[in-house]
Amino acid sequence: MNIERIIDRGYYWIDENARKTSLALARRLSRRHFLSRLGMIIAGAAAFPLLPVARSFAQSSVEEVGDPQSCEYWRYCAMSGTLCSCCGGSYSSCPPGAEPSPITWVGTCRNPVDNRNYLMSYNDCCGKSVCSRCSCHNTEGDKPVYFNSNSSTVLWCFGTENTSYHCTVSLVLGTTDE
Amino acid sequence: MRFHTPLSMCVVLSFTLCIPLASAQITPEEISTETMPEPGTNWFISKTSNGGYIFDASTGEMQGMLSLSRRTPAVTMWNPRREFYAAESYISRGVHGERTDIVAIYDFDNLRPVAEVVIPNHMARLSVRNHMGLMNNGRHLAVHNMNPGHSVSIVDVQDRVFIYEVSTPGCAVIMPVAESDFLQVCGDGTLQLIQLDLSGFEQNRVRSEVFFNVIDDAVYDRTTRSADGWFLVTHAGTIYEASTSGAIINISDGWSLLPADEEGWRPGGGEFISAHRQLGLLFVAMHEGEVDTHHEPGTEIWVFDVDTRRRIYRIELETPVNSLMVTQEDKPKLIVADKDGGTHVYDALTFVHERTIETPGASMFEDF
Repeated sequence: MNIERIIDRGYYWIDENARKTSLALARRLSRRHFLSRLGMIIAGAAAFPLLPVARSFAQSSVEEVGDPQSCEYWRYCAMSGTLCSCCGGSYSSCPPGAEPSPITWVGTCRNPVDNRNYLMSYNDCCGKSVCSRCSCHNTEGDKPVYFNSNSSTVLWCFGTENTSYHCTVSLVLGTTDE
Repeated sequence: MRFHTPLSMCVVLSFTLCIPLASAQITPEEISTETMPEPGTNWFISKTSNGGYIFDASTGEMQGMLSLSRRTPAVTMWNPRREFYAAESYISRGVHGERTDIVAIYDFDNLRPVAEVVIPNHMARLSVRNHMGLMNNGRHLAVHNMNPGHSVSIVDVQDRVFIYEVSTPGCAVIMPVAESDFLQVCGDGTLQLIQLDLSGFEQNRVRSEVFFNVIDDAVYDRTTRSADGWFLVTHAGTIYEASTSGAIINISDGWSLLPADEEGWRPGGGEFISAHRQLGLLFVAMHEGEVDTHHEPGTEIWVFDVDTRRRIYRIELETPVNSLMVTQEDKPKLIVADKDGGTHVYDALTFVHERTIETPGASMFEDF
């Protein structure tokens, strides 16, 4: 038996089973019951973490140590800018009225609590004057502008309504050993 | 008021008569505005976050100022038309509102804007000297964009029109070569040559062989002109010279800034490298540091003879420097910006410090 025939039989089996199951459901269930179940499945699917990024957030929270308002804080190893944690935000949230940029540069920082390496995303918060507090310029793994995914000197207010720079946050995307 | 004696009345009268007489002898002054004198030798522009301060390095005297946007990458002059060109970015309400990127044109005599060309709002908005380059005998100005993909806007500054936007994925920096071509550094370890036609449109595009690894030892995006092309330097201090022959990219063998018996020194800072093309002298800000210290200001300036590839002098500095530039005169000056905002002028042949100039926040210098 050649491979094409095996594949054809596989498709036939799937088609036949789908047809039979659909007919059985149609006989047994009312249309309203079917829609309510379908809605539950869709809602469940949305809540279920599908992407690798979402999976990392679904894990238990990262254990923290140190002062988020200090440039020495472990999350800031590839940070360049001013710290939102000193400007009314936190290490992961923009200050009031600022707009987070969805496009970022990335770095890898070691958390001293568990000695694991974490993939970090550095998001600029935009649309307000520069918050000139807690300037922080760390260059671990920093690359020139032509390699912009790892370049911290770029103004990363892209994809935002306003493109002026306010401050920067650092988000954990996952661990490098995942 | 009562006058008790004729004598006191006399004294008062003499004062009231004499004072207006004295005033009447002075001609009231009238306010006026200077125009720029003819540029002298060793003039330079010190670019800060709010403008370009024009100085005479020989005297230290300021000559005038170009008002520039906060996000201007660089400013350059074209002597035959007596004009300055600057890429600028403005936001209508300061930090919010409509963004407008332009190439602004300033006249030399009054340092005033005389024209502007609106370009796509994609300018990289970083203070980098080679994010702008003038080509085709001063006709076409290239401005580097990042949105976040890389591209280049080409503007005809003679006819004051935007021509088009060249997509340059993975490549940045504008290094003009030949008549209407420019080289770029790319993330895959190559150089890219883009050749424009006489109208400023792309005619040809060429990639070099891979000659560096961006992860192991990246080439800086700060470069300087050599006699025949451009000097490039890696984070660890390997120098390459790039030039072109038509559509062929030539890259020299690399040589190290560090003598064989010295380790631990690296180039770094902002615009930390500059060459005198005719004399073959290369000036590089150096510091002692580990990997990833490439933004550290230099504690010394090393001077190299590029023909022999040997270091000929070390300038030790009291305050570390971020940026430097050597003027292209016969008796050149080395202009240095320290990390605390001071600007210093050295004789670039004897390496003697001549004067300190106040230009707070100077991020780079531009030669006249």
